[in-house]
Amino acid sequence: MNPDLDLTIERVIRAPRTAVWDAWTDPRLLEQWWTPAPTSTRVDVLDPRPGGGFVTRMSEDGHTFVPHTDCAFLAVDEGSRLVFTNAIDSTWRPAPPAPVHMTAEVRLRDHPDGTEYLVTVRHGDPASRARHQELGFFDGWGSVTEALARLTEAGALR
Amino acid sequence: MANSGVLDGVFAALADPTRRAVVHRLGHGPATVSELAQPFGITLPSFLKHVRVLEASGLISTAKSGRARTCTLRPEQLEPVADWLVTERALWQGRTDRLEAFVTHHQEPRP
Repeated sequence: MNPDLDLTIERVIRAPRTAVWDAWTDPRLLEQWWTPAPTSTRVDVLDPRPGGGFVTRMSEDGHTFVPHTDCAFLAVDEGSRLVFTNAIDSTWRPAPPAPVHMTAEVRLRDHPDGTEYLVTVRHGDPASRARHQELGFFDGWGSVTEALARLTEAGALR
Repeated sequence: MANSGVLDGVFAALADPTRRAVVHRLGHGPATVSELAQPFGITLPSFLKHVRVLEASGLISTAKSGRARTCTLRPEQLEPVADWLVTERALWQGRTDRLEAFVTHHQEPRP
């Protein structure tokens, strides 16, 4: 864990571990929470096993869907752990940082009140992102769309 | 770290679908107010309110030339919001909030 590069989220969720696991690994369930309302999600690939793909699209209007998630699972322990990265895409092709490479690890443990939920996201060196920004991260249509998609996502927070 | 006043203004400005569409459009390059208003079935005075909110947030600047007012995106205003670790944390907290709401809601009917 590197506090300058990584983040953790720890929470007790008042639902059984199997329910949290299913919400992550059943495409129809993931679609219901992966992106914030009013956006909608479509899951194209959700193959939770090492090397499996994780591909979603999102839509602001329910009609036009744009690429959102394109990741590969690195490690999966049935019912308790999912690890995936955007450093390679779902076809194992090395991916451009968008906006920074990350590996996310989601861990579930039984807890008297439900499920202990722990997310650790390890990020690549932000210097690579700074270079990306110098190269024109904010120039042009695609980057603004990306920035807005991220803002929309972030807006779900109070 | 991000300046929360700027964040509040930018998030408020982007909380509206019309204004998000305008920002998307300006991602292609500057445009006049009447060009921007054209796709929306609303009156020009109503549309101008959106332009003023965007301008107040700093996300766009406007300049009058002759009878037309041209709007330009100021992407640097997104930078405090786009501070990458702040954004990533917000992303994951938002996801966790929604997952929690989803799974707890689904479990409630069962004792």
